[in-house]
Amino acid sequence: MRVVVVTGGASGLGEAIANRFASDGDRVVVADVDELRARQVADNLTAAGLNAESETVDVTSEGEVAAMFDSIAERHGRLDALVCSAAIETRSSVVDCTDEDWQQVLDVNLKGPFLCCKHGLPAIANTGGGAVVLLGSVLGAIASPGYAAYCASKGALANLAKQAAIEHAAEHVRVNVVSPSATDTGLFARVAARSDDPGRMLQMVSANTPMQRLGTGGEVAATVAFLCSSGAAFISGAIIPVDGAMAARRTV
Amino acid sequence: MAAGSEPNDARGRQQLAGKVALITGAASGQGAAAAQLFSQHGAAIVVVDVNDDGARETVDRVARDGGRATAVHGDVSIRRECDAMVAAAIETYGRLDVLYNNAAIQMSGRLVDTTEEMWDITIATNLSAIFWACRAAIPVMLAGEGGTIVNTSSTLGQQGSEGYAAYGAAKAGLIALTRQIAVEYGPRVRANVIAPGSIDTPRFRKVTDSRDDAERFLAMLERTIPMHRLGVADDVARVALFLASDASAYTSGAVIPCDGGLAAFR
Repeated sequence: MRVVVVTGGASGLGEAIANRFASDGDRVVVADVDELRARQVADNLTAAGLNAESETVDVTSEGEVAAMFDSIAERHGRLDALVCSAAIETRSSVVDCTDEDWQQVLDVNLKGPFLCCKHGLPAIANTGGGAVVLLGSVLGAIASPGYAAYCASKGALANLAKQAAIEHAAEHVRVNVVSPSATDTGLFARVAARSDDPGRMLQMVSANTPMQRLGTGGEVAATVAFLCSSGAAFISGAIIPVDGAMAARRTV
Repeated sequence: MAAGSEPNDARGRQQLAGKVALITGAASGQGAAAAQLFSQHGAAIVVVDVNDDGARETVDRVARDGGRATAVHGDVSIRRECDAMVAAAIETYGRLDVLYNNAAIQMSGRLVDTTEEMWDITIATNLSAIFWACRAAIPVMLAGEGGTIVNTSSTLGQQGSEGYAAYGAAKAGLIALTRQIAVEYGPRVRANVIAPGSIDTPRFRKVTDSRDDAERFLAMLERTIPMHRLGVADDVARVALFLASDASAYTSGAVIPCDGGLAAFR
């Protein structure tokens, strides 16, 4: 049975991805800074007869990240896939972004995946190979007003993946990025829910997407699952958009 | 493809059940591998090629596996043959859900050494052909349940390499064409590009074998590709299946490399 770690697995896209791996028959480690929710997601999967466990981890702490991979190695003796889904967003322009916001976003969204790759890649290589998927964003390639730190973190993440990909390809570890746009389950859904008129916000984003709708957590999870399967055996260092063609279209 | 449909492709499940897929250049290599894989996933296959014997072999192989396929002679560089192959799909199976533009030719030459004839045939086969095929297929898909288009570019569509003036231009043009389809027909037709690197197929061998330094060239390729191996036809076919099926339901206008990490590498 494959062992798969999903960071940020306690909510949003991470949870959808954890559910997908578990229902495909893998053992999922739901890793999150939110201990209670992580345990809840894992318990729900276990109750459904699937294989899951939780780990509490702050991905910005090298000590905690290293300890998590050590304990997984101790328990299972293998690691087949790592999905880095933990991320945060703050809303501010380049000029308004505080030093604190900048640091926090870069720590969670970029340093977190770096630390997870640093300690997870050798574990996957020791298993004989496998896959890493980093959750990027359409905002890693194009910009939107008020997302200064978020855009920078996701853009840098894409090239971090390429670097990790070329360094570990010979050890049969593939590293790729999935770049979603707004989905009904991700950070956007939470932002929309807090807005004055969530319905209008969802409608506006749908209308601005060539596919005329939002993506779903299941659709993102299906792409992550593909990248971790033998179907993607010759794909590494790639950025796979799940964005309803948003990145392909100029705004006007 | 219904709006909002959830992907439903847990392991072992057929991903193209009840669909009809037209694959150009399906007599050998990546196209033949895709015909077999798509058929195993439940699709009826329209096998298009200029090589009639090879196309028949692909059809026979699909039939031996218990699948359905029909061979259609087609030179995709000629517009009326593109129209005819789409018409043949409708006539034979009554619908068209997947168009996989895989056929291509490859002749190398630096810009100054590229003759007008080389330029014309390369652009006709590797770029205009895809326009004609999509021009014929999209109305049929819009009239039906929508559809998916998979176009075959190359790492050379986004990066240059010595001696591919016409080929690189055609493969880059194809990417812009695909984006246009994604943007213009978004809700009903998805269109994506596969960008294969060096894939070990009969066509690839024909090109490498014509070099004086074939062996050294192959060794150099394997050293340079981060995964240290050439791709195989099935590597590409499996990416095509992902893009043709609901597994990629919210991906459109994208370029998916299948190159062992080559495009990510300096």
